[in-house]
Amino acid sequence: MFERRDNEPEYAVLTGKATKEKTQWGADIELAPEGSPLRDEPFIVNGDEPGHNLRNPNRYKQHGFYFNADNCIGCHACETACAEKNGTASHIAFRSVGIVECGTYPAYRRLNISMACNHCEDPVCLKGCPTRAYTKFAEYGAVLQDPDICFGCGYCTWVCPYNAPQLDPVAGHVSKCNMCVDRLEVGLKPACVAACLGNALDFGVIEEIPENRVQAELSIPGFPDPSITHPNIRFQQLKTLEPEVKRVDSVPVKYRLDEDKGRYVAEADHDKAPPVEWNLKKLLTSHEMAHVAFTLSAQAVMGAFALLIFSGWFSIAPLAQVADSGIFAPLLWVMVALAAFGLFKLNMHLGRPHRFYRGFYNLKWSPVSREIAGVSAFFAGLVGSAFFSLFDNAFTSVLGNLSAALALAGAAYGGYYMYKLYRIPARPYWNHWHTGASFLGTALSLGSLLIGVAALIGGVADAALIGALSGIAFLGLLLEAAGIIVQYRQQHQASSEAAVSWLFMTTTYGRTFQLRLGLLGIAVLLSGGLASTAPLAGDTALSSVLLPAFLLLALVALAQSLLGRALFFAVVVPTTMPGAYFWKNPGFIEHAREVGLADWPQIGVAYEQHHKFDVKELLKTIRETTWEEKWDQFKRIFTG
Amino acid sequence: MLFGRTKKNPVNLPTKEVVDWQTVTCGYCSTGCSIDVGLDIDGKPISCRGNAEADVNRGKLCLKGIFEYEIFRSPGRGTRVLERDHIRSPWQQTNWDSALDRLYSEIRRIQKKYGPDSFAIISTGQMLNEEFYTLGKLTRGLIGTNNYDGNTTLCMASAVSGYKRSFGSDGPPGCYEDFEHTDYLIAWGSNMPEQHPVMYWRLKEAHEKRGFPIIAVDPRVTMLAQNASLHLPINPGTDVPLMNAMMHVIFAEGLEDKEYIEKNCTGLEELKAEVAKWTPDRASQITGIHPDTIVTVARAFARAKAAMQVWTMGINQSTHGSDGVVGINNLALITGNVGKPGGTPLSITGQCNAMGTREWGSTSGLPNFRYLENEEHRKEVAAFWGIDEEFLPRKRGLTQTDIYKAMEAGEIKGLWLIATNPLTSLPDTDRVRRAMEQLEFCCVQDCYEDAESTQYAHLYLPAGTWAEKHGVMTNTERRVNLVKPIIDPPGDAKPDLWVFNRLAERFNAEREREGKPPLTFPETAPEVFDEMKQLSKGRLSDSTGMDHELIEKHRGIQWPYPAELREKGIPPKKGGVRLYEKPASFCHPDGRAKLIPLPWEDNNEHPDEEYPFWLNTGRLVEHWHGRSKTGKVANNNKFSPIPFIEINPDAARDLGIRHGEYVRLVSRRGDAVAMAMPTGRVPYNMVFMPFHFHNATNRLTLGLLDPHSRQPAYKQQAVRIEKMPDQEEAARLCMEMRKF
Repeated sequence: MFERRDNEPEYAVLTGKATKEKTQWGADIELAPEGSPLRDEPFIVNGDEPGHNLRNPNRYKQHGFYFNADNCIGCHACETACAEKNGTASHIAFRSVGIVECGTYPAYRRLNISMACNHCEDPVCLKGCPTRAYTKFAEYGAVLQDPDICFGCGYCTWVCPYNAPQLDPVAGHVSKCNMCVDRLEVGLKPACVAACLGNALDFGVIEEIPENRVQAELSIPGFPDPSITHPNIRFQQLKTLEPEVKRVDSVPVKYRLDEDKGRYVAEADHDKAPPVEWNLKKLLTSHEMAHVAFTLSAQAVMGAFALLIFSGWFSIAPLAQVADSGIFAPLLWVMVALAAFGLFKLNMHLGRPHRFYRGFYNLKWSPVSREIAGVSAFFAGLVGSAFFSLFDNAFTSVLGNLSAALALAGAAYGGYYMYKLYRIPARPYWNHWHTGASFLGTALSLGSLLIGVAALIGGVADAALIGALSGIAFLGLLLEAAGIIVQYRQQHQASSEAAVSWLFMTTTYGRTFQLRLGLLGIAVLLSGGLASTAPLAGDTALSSVLLPAFLLLALVALAQSLLGRALFFAVVVPTTMPGAYFWKNPGFIEHAREVGLADWPQIGVAYEQHHKFDVKELLKTIRETTWEEKWDQFKRIFTG
Repeated sequence: MLFGRTKKNPVNLPTKEVVDWQTVTCGYCSTGCSIDVGLDIDGKPISCRGNAEADVNRGKLCLKGIFEYEIFRSPGRGTRVLERDHIRSPWQQTNWDSALDRLYSEIRRIQKKYGPDSFAIISTGQMLNEEFYTLGKLTRGLIGTNNYDGNTTLCMASAVSGYKRSFGSDGPPGCYEDFEHTDYLIAWGSNMPEQHPVMYWRLKEAHEKRGFPIIAVDPRVTMLAQNASLHLPINPGTDVPLMNAMMHVIFAEGLEDKEYIEKNCTGLEELKAEVAKWTPDRASQITGIHPDTIVTVARAFARAKAAMQVWTMGINQSTHGSDGVVGINNLALITGNVGKPGGTPLSITGQCNAMGTREWGSTSGLPNFRYLENEEHRKEVAAFWGIDEEFLPRKRGLTQTDIYKAMEAGEIKGLWLIATNPLTSLPDTDRVRRAMEQLEFCCVQDCYEDAESTQYAHLYLPAGTWAEKHGVMTNTERRVNLVKPIIDPPGDAKPDLWVFNRLAERFNAEREREGKPPLTFPETAPEVFDEMKQLSKGRLSDSTGMDHELIEKHRGIQWPYPAELREKGIPPKKGGVRLYEKPASFCHPDGRAKLIPLPWEDNNEHPDEEYPFWLNTGRLVEHWHGRSKTGKVANNNKFSPIPFIEINPDAARDLGIRHGEYVRLVSRRGDAVAMAMPTGRVPYNMVFMPFHFHNATNRLTLGLLDPHSRQPAYKQQAVRIEKMPDQEEAARLCMEMRKF
């Protein structure tokens, strides 16, 4: 239990004020009324459950931070007290102070924003986490994350609008603000609040306005749209700010007062627009390349498989001839290899790759779990299809078809959730139907081209097949192009971080994006041309024109998909909290990694790194988990 | 739990296995917070928290204090005694005996060859009072050089000088409790939220209760300026004209406290005659402050029941630093705002024990604010120590800044640096290097082996730091508070007191050889305290009622606390002890404070066509001075790991400088590389650069000296800014200079 001193200063002690019943969002503040079974289970913190006499009377009420933005002086005492208490590595912080500013000298104002986890009413981290590492406790409404469960995928860091979960690139797992529930249990406010030197931070039952304060606002400039998660934080900010406030970190985001919405919304800050460059190396060596490899390979293979199976089952010429040909089985094995490569890349980008099996744990809530489940089913079906295609009898044919059906179902389910998981409100650039258009387009274009190249190598390609496959690729590429055009028009001047994504797209990666558009244009023209002319040209032109043109199309389409997908991951700008000059400044973090400042521990920047597949830990877990626990664990995949 | 989780897992939070909390006084700034340091079962410090009972900080700490437990075993700590023949030779490990023999013989060799004052000693504001007293006794009583000063010349000398000129003695008359009583507060060049965050919290607490006006005078929009009721964005170095104009208004409108002046002050007519020339219109042309604003502030200040002024380096570090302090004192005196609750001119000190060296260090005089120039003082101290009065010089020697000039002139050949790092902290690094290259012998005694000044040392003595040592420190409100050893210094490192006593033995032996009795050098800090406090008897800072035990019990005692009070059973007050509460109780012989006219002439280097920007320098909350401590505490350093400038976004745009780009700053002294951070905090023609970084800011600074205090003006000089086309090379340069 946390050691409470006899003489704790008044400012560190919870006031016990609880006068409201509903939050401003309409939710009950009481999370577990008297008699609720939620009260029966013990709340064990660090191995002990404090006695009833020590229990906070408001233990089952939603608590939250209160931040008086006028008072914050940016002294870092809160973040440092947090780091001291939690022993966090210097490149990690559960609480950070970011800065926005407005006006010019001397009519200048700076707003320091101290932010940790908001223990949201709708914890998107919890819902997103595939491993069920998160729990929203009835005790204080605290959203707690268990690093021992986490496998380090970082999805919670994608969905959280406030940058609360911290993916530690060194430790390979996420950790976050724990509301200092050990202090709450002995009636003390969290360490950050007790440390505040500006009288800016406070804490208590949500909606309670501390003494001497008048507001309980839901947002302040620089704070992301609270409607996404209904965060349990309330603000006071009375001092007049300009209608436009800017960030001091490198991110070209500014916030403008939207009179209609009554709050500040994000916009692109063109004063900070980066120069127009290629940045190919940065693009293609980023940590997100694992996602590029996985999504592209999975979608290509799913697309190709679906095309082959449907055309085989329904005898759709001319594709059916491939399914009937001798290349069918080898092609399936190539697809197994490709899909396995993607899955391998995906798994090995995890902070704890040996905990891969936990990816299913949150089927109830997480699109990631569902994606993993679907893709796994697809992969199992694909391997089955490939395996049974090696035999030629009725029995294996049935099994082959059953496998194919499983794979198709998996592809549909997994493919859908592969798209859904990117529909993240905190990542406005992704949160658009173009993501689906891109994914489906990739499945059609790369899928058909994969079949075509295989047919070509296997010598079973003819003009009709080339024409048909080019036609499918054309549709896919067109879909992708349409997505880009619509998305650009809707987003590039939007009042959201999506506009900033487009700023990066056209500046930092401006040349690369132009190349990608050029390649996409060429691919559309080539595929369209091939689709319309190949059947007319006939097999006489096959080797002289059609095959080289098709190969070129495949190359161009692959290149544009690769660039397009890499850009998809590179330009996304989350609705995160603003950073400071160095700390939590993405520009400085990148710079420190590039020039080697990150080699010094006192800089507070760590390198991205890969983590080993710890077979020993996996075996240990298997050994130490009883069969009963395993069965319970399995049940909880479905029950939560 | 919510969200239908069917199994409630136990919660495991990180914990620290603290088995013992030891309370000491913080070793960073002069606020003087009490820190509980948590020790684990092996006695290793693993945690810090603010002591809840200490009146100063009431449980709070700033970010430096929170991680102060990490400094004990940080990289770069000196653990070996090192020596070498030449500053370019490699270091050789040696032992204390031979090192101290060498220091002794080098001091005497140089003194014999070039004269007693050719060996200089520069100390610090970082040590403990007992150490300052012992070093002072060793230097003044045995070594006999008059070129002995503390690095407090770089931060507090102007306050000392101004207090002496106005009140007849050093010693800030106010206390933190004054925040609770004041009705009007002017902060002159003081950014408390950044420099003294816990003191700021005390101010904030008081302000939340009573909401008095806070006026911030600062050329930059600091957090205090932004949060103040009124910000006066003054032109650099023009505080004295503003003060004169305020006094002009006060006298012109008859708002002065005639009765107080009558009873307590001299020099009224001369002051009136000078300020009569300073109309608000005239001052406005110089200061850039609207004349009406000057009138408003002057009236409100004079009419307030209790008006307080605080200041820090914005006043002290300027060519009119001492005058600025006198101006503040003048304002306080003519409105009767000295020595009353909420009415005080309170100089906020810099280092944790800058006050201690002022009281006990004997640098600018003799212990307990005695003057070398005063025969009676010389006699008292000589008799107390048992030395010949003739051995004491009749006026103070050179200040730290002038010692370096004397090194350039070849007048000083040997130097002993103690817990200070002039290579980073003095202005105009190039001159500092040249001066140090010319030394015949230099000894650096420091807790960090990698303090940059060791580059020019022949002898390195590893010292203990902070709570590896025993003794007391005095804070801004004159509170004497205890530091005790909770961990041993690493390796061969020794507490400074031990080093001084061992060196004193060598000089005492010499005395004995000459047939004179040795001087006493008590071995332990409590014993030293008992000796030195006798020198405070009946003086302004009477601390005869204190001892270590009582100090620890009360988490610090403000002076004066004379023995008479203790004998009467009156315990020390928790806070709120003030000076000059009684009429005509000032330290000038007539008991009156002096009103001193302040004619003003602008002698700063101004921006011009070639160097179009003001370079303003200052502190960041996350760093301590030359970063030897905080640069290694990742959770402090990460907030500003490399040098940077704040530059106005319009200026950056016009120069084509992008956010986060490295730029080269060039002054008439040298150049520096820094990262550009555009912000509207600074005007178009000014850049602000934190001074903490070695080989950066002070390569540029001019450091004109105040004529009275000899404190350098760090905050007013001109630079130009050049784009660096090769950013990779700039990054490499910047990084190489940051290596420890």
